Amino acid sequence: MDIEASDLIVGIMMAVFGLIGLIMAAGATDNEIYVFGLSLLGFAVVFDFGLIRRHFDKAELRQKALRGEADHV
Amino acid sequence: MSDLAIGGVMPVAHAPARTAVVYNEAVVRKFTIAAMFWAVVAFLVGVVIAAQLAWPQLNLGLSFTNFGRLRPVHTSAAIFAFGGSALFGTSLYVVQRTCRARLFGGEALANFLFWGYQFFIVMAALSYVMGFSQGQEYAEPEWHLDLWLTVVWVLYAVVFIGTLLKREEPHIYVANWFYLAFILTVAILHLGNNVALPVSIYTAKSYNFASGVQNAMIQWWYGHNAVGFFLTAGFLGMMYYFIPKAAGRPVYSYRLSIVHFWSLIFMYMWAGPHHLHWTALPDWTQTLGMAFSVMLWMPSWGGMINGIMTLSGAWDKLRTDPGLRFSVTAVGFYGMSTFEGPVMSIRDVNSLSHYTDWGIGHVHSGALGWVAFISFGAIYYLVPVLWKRERLYSTRLVSWHYWVATLGIVFYITSMWVAGIMQGLMWRAYDQFGFLQYSFAESVNAVHPYYVIRLIGGVFFLSGALIMVYNLIQTVRSPSTARREALPAGVAVAGE
Repeated sequence: MDIEASDLIVGIMMAVFGLIGLIMAAGATDNEIYVFGLSLLGFAVVFDFGLIRRHFDKAELRQKALRGEADHV
Repeated sequence: MSDLAIGGVMPVAHAPARTAVVYNEAVVRKFTIAAMFWAVVAFLVGVVIAAQLAWPQLNLGLSFTNFGRLRPVHTSAAIFAFGGSALFGTSLYVVQRTCRARLFGGEALANFLFWGYQFFIVMAALSYVMGFSQGQEYAEPEWHLDLWLTVVWVLYAVVFIGTLLKREEPHIYVANWFYLAFILTVAILHLGNNVALPVSIYTAKSYNFASGVQNAMIQWWYGHNAVGFFLTAGFLGMMYYFIPKAAGRPVYSYRLSIVHFWSLIFMYMWAGPHHLHWTALPDWTQTLGMAFSVMLWMPSWGGMINGIMTLSGAWDKLRTDPGLRFSVTAVGFYGMSTFEGPVMSIRDVNSLSHYTDWGIGHVHSGALGWVAFISFGAIYYLVPVLWKRERLYSTRLVSWHYWVATLGIVFYITSMWVAGIMQGLMWRAYDQFGFLQYSFAESVNAVHPYYVIRLIGGVFFLSGALIMVYNLIQTVRSPSTARREALPAGVAVAGE
């Protein structure tokens, strides 16, 4: 697995933010924090899935290029 | 880097041999799209609240459509969403091109900047509509959103400064100086003005560490420098790159740009107290703010002269390139509003103008005439470049946009000048017995026609933006704007 350092750092950072969002939403005493916490969690999950998707897209492209199929991509 | 290189007229044959740099243009494209999207949102909400001021029934009796909640949506959408996205996008474009370096931090960090900033904008707008606010102008978001913006902003600084540090050009072009001042100062302002203690991490409510006149002083130190560094320094960075590029000319005087930079950033910091004339703030502080505001006139006009005179020898392009016309008109509006501002900061003038619609007119001559126009000019330049199109879909539509928007601004600012001066005069009028001649409600009634004219101006400006959106979408999609021949990256970069 050839993971870029920035992907890893940003991915972990987003996971931490998602967790913070979840904690805030869980204990929220007003609508604002509830909405913000859940949205932060959702944002973090979608962002991290995006990172994973891009990682595998790149890996697939690299493999195809190695097999000499890059022109057909 | 020579000025000629920025003007785009460096002969390719003389350019030193360079290795190809693959720039991160994807993030710039995203910010460009976001800037246009938020421009339309900001102008639309502006039109709605202008209509509410003319006809209060349009508040609809609902809390979330109330003027008080929609007004910060309008200001934040205009300044932070539209202006901010334009600044993010152009700064990340300019720093890469002028440093010949790909963005520091990789694709993931650049994507985080984009989506993290958009998340802040959406959450802030949502919180205003839900009725949550710190009650401080242009700093309405509560503590949790402030913290989120701090994270995004610090990482923005890391990306920008990291790119500067890994540059392959020995010189840091002046546009980057302005962008850097914008990034660093906004960080300081944001942190300084938002030192607040939340009731708990589960509650949106927080209390600022300062109260009373100290709070007001810090708020307007922040508020005026938000104008100075967000709405001026950042967009001057845009001016110093895109006007020379579009005109194909070097900056008129690079020396003047450096003098402009240092004098502007030194003086702006002290001007905030002019927002608090005739208040409990000590007189000497008000005088200090007034004096620095008047002094600011000179560096501001130094910048204006530099921007306009860059057109020397290329004035004919104003006829053929309406995108450049936007940029140059923006610099004209910059000169106008940076003359009007010092005049309004004089305490005796301020006694007439403060709290009236003159202030609103002044702000909009800067926001629409300077900020929006310089952004439109940059975006018209950028879209064909970023999407590798030969040209814009229609220069005729750009021209329509220009004239419709200019007319809109004229309607807006003239009506607000008249309304504001009338309000000021009515509020200070006494009869022969020493009583106020007019009630406040009478002054509200008197400005109604001007509010309607302002609304018409806003509709014109919005219409212009919609024309622009259509033109840009067609530029990207239409077969008539066929792709350019791809140049080897090294050669293309040398021309940048």
